[in-house]
Amino acid sequence: MSTLSPDQWQAVSPYLDQALAMTDDERGAWLSSLGEQDPALATQLAALLSEHRLLAQEGFLENRRFALPNATELAGQTFGPYTLIAQIGQGGMGSVWLARRSDGRFERQAAVKFVNSGLAGRATEERFKREGSILGRLTHPHIADLLDAGISSDGQPYLILEYVDGAAIDRYCDEHKLDVESRVRLFLDVLAAVAHAHANLIVHRDIKPSNVLVTTSGEVKLLDFGIAKLLEGEGQTGASTLLTHEGGSVLTPQYAAPEQLTGQPVTTATDVYALAVLLYLLLTGQHPAGPGPHSPARLVKAITETEPLRPSDTMLSANAESVAEKRATTPDKLRRMLRGDLDTILVKALKKNPQERYASVTAFADDLRRYLKHETISVRPDTFAYRTTKFLRRNRTPVALSTIAVVLVIGSLSTGLLVANRERKIAERRFAQVRQMANKFIALDQDIRGLPGSTKVRMQLVSDSLQYLTSLSTDVHGDKDLALEIAYAYVRVAHAQGDPTSPNLGQFGEAEANLTRASGFVDPILAQDPTNPRALFIATTIAHDRLTLADNRGDKAGEMKHAADAASLIERFMSTHPVEQHDLYSMRYFYVNIAGAFYEGRKFDQVILYNQRGLDIPVPGSRANALRGAILENLAAAQWQTGDLDGAVKTSHESLGFQQAEAASGHPALLLNLADGYDLEGKILGRQDAEPSLGRRRNALADFQKAFDIAEDLASKDSADYLGRHYIAGSGLEMGNILRHNDPEKALAVYEHSLVRIREAKPNASSQRDEAALLVGSSYVLRWLDRENDAKRSLTRAFELLHAAELYPADKVEPMSDIYDALRAQADDYAESGESAKAIDAYHQLLDKMMAWPSDVQNDLRDTTCVSRTWTALASLQRRAGRSDEANRLEAQRTELWNHWQSKLPNAQFLLRQSLVQIASRPVFNSAAGH
Amino acid sequence: MSGANFSTVTLLIGAADRGDRSAADALFSTLYSELHRLAKRELASQSLPVTLSATTLLHLAYLGMAEREGPSFPDRARFMGYAARVMRGLIIDHARNRRAQKRGGQFEITSLRTDVLEGCVDYQELKSIGETLEELARVDPALAEIVDLKFFCGFSFAEIAAMRAVSERTVQRNWEKARIYLHRKLHTELSL
Repeated sequence: MSTLSPDQWQAVSPYLDQALAMTDDERGAWLSSLGEQDPALATQLAALLSEHRLLAQEGFLENRRFALPNATELAGQTFGPYTLIAQIGQGGMGSVWLARRSDGRFERQAAVKFVNSGLAGRATEERFKREGSILGRLTHPHIADLLDAGISSDGQPYLILEYVDGAAIDRYCDEHKLDVESRVRLFLDVLAAVAHAHANLIVHRDIKPSNVLVTTSGEVKLLDFGIAKLLEGEGQTGASTLLTHEGGSVLTPQYAAPEQLTGQPVTTATDVYALAVLLYLLLTGQHPAGPGPHSPARLVKAITETEPLRPSDTMLSANAESVAEKRATTPDKLRRMLRGDLDTILVKALKKNPQERYASVTAFADDLRRYLKHETISVRPDTFAYRTTKFLRRNRTPVALSTIAVVLVIGSLSTGLLVANRERKIAERRFAQVRQMANKFIALDQDIRGLPGSTKVRMQLVSDSLQYLTSLSTDVHGDKDLALEIAYAYVRVAHAQGDPTSPNLGQFGEAEANLTRASGFVDPILAQDPTNPRALFIATTIAHDRLTLADNRGDKAGEMKHAADAASLIERFMSTHPVEQHDLYSMRYFYVNIAGAFYEGRKFDQVILYNQRGLDIPVPGSRANALRGAILENLAAAQWQTGDLDGAVKTSHESLGFQQAEAASGHPALLLNLADGYDLEGKILGRQDAEPSLGRRRNALADFQKAFDIAEDLASKDSADYLGRHYIAGSGLEMGNILRHNDPEKALAVYEHSLVRIREAKPNASSQRDEAALLVGSSYVLRWLDRENDAKRSLTRAFELLHAAELYPADKVEPMSDIYDALRAQADDYAESGESAKAIDAYHQLLDKMMAWPSDVQNDLRDTTCVSRTWTALASLQRRAGRSDEANRLEAQRTELWNHWQSKLPNAQFLLRQSLVQIASRPVFNSAAGH
Repeated sequence: MSGANFSTVTLLIGAADRGDRSAADALFSTLYSELHRLAKRELASQSLPVTLSATTLLHLAYLGMAEREGPSFPDRARFMGYAARVMRGLIIDHARNRRAQKRGGQFEITSLRTDVLEGCVDYQELKSIGETLEELARVDPALAEIVDLKFFCGFSFAEIAAMRAVSERTVQRNWEKARIYLHRKLHTELSL
């Protein structure tokens, strides 16, 4: 036999491909015809093919018997009370053995699963036993019993399960050619089992056909409940879930839910998703990601990004015949059976966002049962899955109010629209547009997987959505539902543009424009039909969003107006009809921000009123406590501003408890809320050089540091994110303001780091204010460090920024505002540079402008504190300039003012003392002694 | 301590993909250490080792590295291409060591009773297969990879098909071709 050169191999290889794909008969004929064209080639091929026959007989490379442990020698060994009989499986987790109980008392077959200790991680024996006993309590006719679990004396973890002799459910259904109804009924048994486990707080996490067996008597048995959890070592979350997928291979996460792939928490909704994939498979013969094969990377992308094809639409593919045949019907009939309710049910259960799926397996089952009985199902095909987001709450002064955001997803524009319009022609055209859009989404890169880091993609989605919407707007023609759908879509686009809770670039102007477009669609409908619930809902959302945009701009009057509008719309909406849980939650959420708007306007009675209304909204079930943290935070802020510091601290602490729990999921919006909470508590405890606080600087610093760290972490993950950087600026400023009295160098470092961060964001009015505030704060420190020129430069730059933000020059200055701080810093700069006449003059002007605001020193504690403090500074300036009469006059004024407050507040003296702390005087510190 | 610098594995894979031989060598030695270390650890922790398969080892290695290096680490399919090749080396080395040493030798990939392993594929044969595979890798790298994955690492056709995003039938066909090539080569050499 001659050797084959590489070239020869390359030449002959494609022919080998062909030959190997043929049967023996075909091959003979083919070879001979080839021989007529190219005899040399044919001879070579013949030789290779006969070699192939030979090696097949030999079993060349078939027997892998390497020096790696294999399990054959285990047969017959006893393992506890069981005798191992034979290996029946090998999965990614370990091997499974059939075993029989050998104590003679009763014969029972079991499956013993040996678990790779590498996969069990650092699972301790106790943990294994404890979890095992929890799982062992799961007794249900459709769940295979877990009989025992533990770790052998050799350190080998094992699980002993009831042995189930059955076929995987998909194979069973196909082999018995079960029709759609029978499959659904069988599936309902599966749901019953999972529901039972959920009721016992056990999540399966690994639902796939090979874990759902059907015995010869047609009984469903679920295996491997919660096994993945059992295997998780401390700090090894997620790794084991990826190890137990199809065929034991870790390479194909076919049944993974999107949140499992993006590292989000696993909940019962994860099981709902996996169950839905299973049902999809049983009904259509394929995976929601489409007919395979899929490379793992593509599959992951499909699961996390692509909306699946509706089950009825899969009947348009090539193998529809064979799929239908296994379901005892024809492709057309099958298509019709799947269309409508089953389509809708599966679409809902397969939502990427866990919160949009069926809330429970029971709900899923209920809808399926209704389908079987031909009743209407609970999901309205054109339901707007509600998503809320939090707009920016300006938190420089006064403190920001927190709200909670549900994840914004803009991708599923397609689903609702397809069903909303009953006119077939338009629906088809839209289908094509949606397809086009969907394909575009698929083409986007990895950024979208999980937040943060998705800014770029979101912006792309926004521009795509806008294009799409504009083209659609021409189709409306009096179709109410479509109009509302479009309106809501514009709202969502506005969310992405103007919503800094999700990473974005703060395009507030565009957001406003899109909200206007949205109301263009909603208002006419509402005029015609004032109790239309959907229209009311959207109108409320628009009013709310305008509220928060106004807040961004610092437009307090606008904010309160929109807040009032939103509040009355909520009242109207709540009286329309029984409201869904999602919507109740939204209403509460809106109230939080409405209260916030009045906070901005310093109408604290209304703050309390609307917060209470928010708490009164009867959000049922698991979300009853939702936003409680936010509302309490609002109340704490109101207490703080009205002087009840002790009450404020207590309430704020309580609110932090709730917010910490919510932030545990790691969602950025919730983390920012938590940062907000720490920020507020910090301010109450020890805010420096502003409103009265308790003066507990160290505690305050700790809180600000926590807020800072949270924001820093988020900012580092997304280079374009504005909101994280905004929070860094805020908490950095507070920390700097405290630190500068004892450790100016550290303070400067904090200011400067915060400046770096805020400058990374795309400039907008809010970021300009943030930057200005930091520059103002740092100007004091620079002066104290004898860097006079740098101090002056900082101030100049601060004024430039305030000018760009249209806050300077101004005739009226709000107490404690950024512009107040800047003007005061300027005056102090004159004073410290020895230009006392200029300084005094600057102070006078500042006071005039504050009075013109107008400051309400009779009723507003913040205004009082600010004015008092300003007088104090001016008084000491006058005294130094030799004008003690002036100084005395000011101090007398101050005393009278606080006497007035004495009757209003028990702790007025304390607050007065707090207000006396000045920033203008160079503090006494010894840098050699450190802090 | 393997001494491997894992932050570079991502870079090494990238470079090796682009044909950088020295990067490929560095990558192989890094992976070798890692797999070797993992195998030792797994086997040391069990005295009833029932399931240390090559595939498990590879999965463990991938997980460990992916975790360490973060989201830019290549996907499993790419990793496995290289890792499978390394696995081949490990197995052949071990076969050699077993031949050279009694039980208790310095590189034990198994802690099982080794008498069970009589009648195993012997070192010489493995060595020849390895060498021929190297040749095949130069001529038709995809085929060589399938042999690594299937024969040395024990992945199934289905798994390989999923990894390579092709049909199972294609994998099977390529497997047959690879066998033809190897068998041909081996017998030609032997018959000289």
